[in-house]
Amino acid sequence: MLRIIGGTVYDPANGINGEVKDLYVADGRFVSKTEEGQTIDATGMVIFPGGVDVHTHVAGGSINFARAMTPEDHRRTQAFIRTKTRRSGLGGMAPTTFATGYLYAGMGWTTVNEAAVPVLSARHTHEELRDIPILDKSSLVLMANNEIILDLLEDGEDERAKHILAWHIWAAKSYGVKAVNPGGVASWKWGKDAKHLSSKIEGYDHITPGVIINKLAKMVDSLGIPHPLHLHCNNLGAPGNVETTLETMRHLEGSRAHFAHLQYHAYGGDDWGTMKSEAAQLAEYFNAHPNMTTDAGAVLFGDTVTITADGPWQHLLYKLTGRKWGNLDVENETGCGIVPYTYRPSNLVNAVQWAVGLELLLLINDPWRVFLSTDHPNGACFWRYPEIIQLLMCADFRNDCMAKLPPEIKNRITLPEINREYTLYEIATITSAGPAKALGLPHKGNLGIGKDADFVIYHHDKDIARMFGHPRYVFKGGEIVIDDGEIREAPQGREYLIKPSYDPNTDDFLKPLFEDRYCMSFENYPVEMERIEHAQIQNCDATDATN
Amino acid sequence: MQKSKFLPRGRKDRTVVLVDIRETKSAKAADLFLQVRPGKDFEMLTILRAMIKGEHVTDDQVAETGLTTDVLQDLIERMKKAKFGVMFFGMGLSMTRGKHMNAAALLTLAAEMNAFTKFVAMPMRGHGNVTGADVIMRWQTGYPFGISFNRGYPRYNPGEFSTVDILVRGDTDCAFIIGADPGATMPRPAIEHLAKVPTIVLDPHVTHTSRLSRVHITTAPAGIAAPGTGYRMDEVPMPLRPALNSPYPSDEEVIRRIKEAIAEKPDWMTDQPQMIFSQV
Ligand SMILES: [Zn+2]
Repeated sequence: MLRIIGGTVYDPANGINGEVKDLYVADGRFVSKTEEGQTIDATGMVIFPGGVDVHTHVAGGSINFARAMTPEDHRRTQAFIRTKTRRSGLGGMAPTTFATGYLYAGMGWTTVNEAAVPVLSARHTHEELRDIPILDKSSLVLMANNEIILDLLEDGEDERAKHILAWHIWAAKSYGVKAVNPGGVASWKWGKDAKHLSSKIEGYDHITPGVIINKLAKMVDSLGIPHPLHLHCNNLGAPGNVETTLETMRHLEGSRAHFAHLQYHAYGGDDWGTMKSEAAQLAEYFNAHPNMTTDAGAVLFGDTVTITADGPWQHLLYKLTGRKWGNLDVENETGCGIVPYTYRPSNLVNAVQWAVGLELLLLINDPWRVFLSTDHPNGACFWRYPEIIQLLMCADFRNDCMAKLPPEIKNRITLPEINREYTLYEIATITSAGPAKALGLPHKGNLGIGKDADFVIYHHDKDIARMFGHPRYVFKGGEIVIDDGEIREAPQGREYLIKPSYDPNTDDFLKPLFEDRYCMSFENYPVEMERIEHAQIQNCDATDATN
Repeated sequence: MQKSKFLPRGRKDRTVVLVDIRETKSAKAADLFLQVRPGKDFEMLTILRAMIKGEHVTDDQVAETGLTTDVLQDLIERMKKAKFGVMFFGMGLSMTRGKHMNAAALLTLAAEMNAFTKFVAMPMRGHGNVTGADVIMRWQTGYPFGISFNRGYPRYNPGEFSTVDILVRGDTDCAFIIGADPGATMPRPAIEHLAKVPTIVLDPHVTHTSRLSRVHITTAPAGIAAPGTGYRMDEVPMPLRPALNSPYPSDEEVIRRIKEAIAEKPDWMTDQPQMIFSQV
């Protein structure tokens, strides 16, 4: 039990904007009052709901491949030394699992969504998630290039495909559906891509990326999955790709959709030499269409490692940079590419990318629909979020940063014309309340009675990056996990899953198809429930999902 | 072999090329066998890379590898025509003259082949669950093997912290061996050191290492009499279900009990709390 008195509370889920308010905690949740337990005087300090990351890559085959590929970074990065209660590990571009938990909690984030899990490596991903302490976790399963589902869509068997989709979500012990470069990753198995919504998908005659996107979004809605279709659009990273993105948005009118790392999909121009920001055009469309949410996928200058299921893009990035390239193909389902990358302010393309991420965050006017992300580790590592918060809250600081960009950046970005500065209330929305709502986790990002007592206490500080990088206290389930930079406790978090309903005959239908295609037996494919620690099954409500 | 939508005739739709220094049993299963001269893997791979890019290579240079220009030209043709090429490689490449340079040459060749068609390379792993150990070490420490924890956090340096190097130098005063038989394969000084220090072996069988160990704990064989997880060489984890019962405990149980017993002992580590902002 715990009493937090005198703090200035920012709780957008309950419309509380900087009110001095006492908080009471019992059994891991907020309660209306308690007289017992420790009292923490938060007078003069700022209280936020714990951060929620709607899109990150912290566990599974691809980030683990990235770890293997970057020993040179591990050597220069922060080391976590073992203590009696803490495991050792390494921070950096692709932090190890234990360090991932400590680093996220260390800046006040308490829930994360691992955004890309092939069913085949779901068992591995859950084993890693279990080794990430403190945080509550969910994961999304990759479905837009799954051969069995694409074959059914090709044959017009949409209803059957929906049951198979639901079956796969449960087999992967997943929380929702991710679509990456729909059709493009399947084409990559042939060394090809599918850049536009009407592109040919290698190996298919009828379906196109547009068809896959449309059908998947409708299936996700009709199954009542709490989080909408989580979409990584086709044609990521390419100059002029804003056309594809807008076309995708138009395709999805009438469905819910979450657009992942929109920064990578908001470019104009014809080639790398003429590439420019189209964030304004995209934001305008987005603002007028409340069926969509997005996360920024913002870029910060510095070293990182890029990992994505978008195999063809990673091959291009390897050719552009000449750096290391890792490629994984996952039979029948998806693939993944890994390329270390350095974003440089002197590089015009990188400078545009940096500006686009901020522009989207500043030009999308509803903070409930745009969320802070860097698509960790693609745009920057998650532990650099405080730097982005500073860029959003301080126009002067932004201008100082812009002054260091090459002069040719002029006319390619609109950031210099934007004066908006985020308020603390808006920051609490884009880092916590908003993503929690989009994920369909109503007990997260919310300081109301009965909600999970995951929250952060910050010192007021003019230096915004320092303020958000060094919380005074971080609480997870009512327990102090970080106290002035010290890891006090590292409790095991939960894992959120869903079990959408599907036809009980699905197993019988799928088994022969599966055994035709896969080199493992059908019985070994689904992840066993015993492997999930502290599993929490969230409801699917088909009537609720669309409003 | 697996039949599939795109390879309906299974094995008949695939082409297998074997490259080795001698004609092994695998050669019979291959469509094409290329006998490379021992120690010339790097040269052969480099010449292939050059020829693929259309660079001039002399017949004499090719001859040094034990092959001919015609044979390599034919190989390149087949590779470029493949819809999906995979190069599997093992210790014959990574543990012979050139070592990691051979592997690097092969990986570069695979990357460069993607200018023409889809191509990947994948290491053939050894016996047992080598891949599983490698995968888990990576997520917990960032490194696959050759890791030292003696400063309290993981450090990596193959050649310094690899098991064989530590044993040869005599840097360890105790050894705990699980799922391996270094007594059968390691150089003599390493084996002598294992015999000198208290060595503890967990193994279902009597092995070379168990014979020289101070303690051998017999465990139930994983996947036969103990459950668990094995990682395939493509890093896909497979659940292992025991078919038999065993009177012996699993490796996992033995390690857990040793860990619990050690936790009772006074801790040699610092009492300092873990700070997270020291270097960020
Ligand atoms: Zn991502």
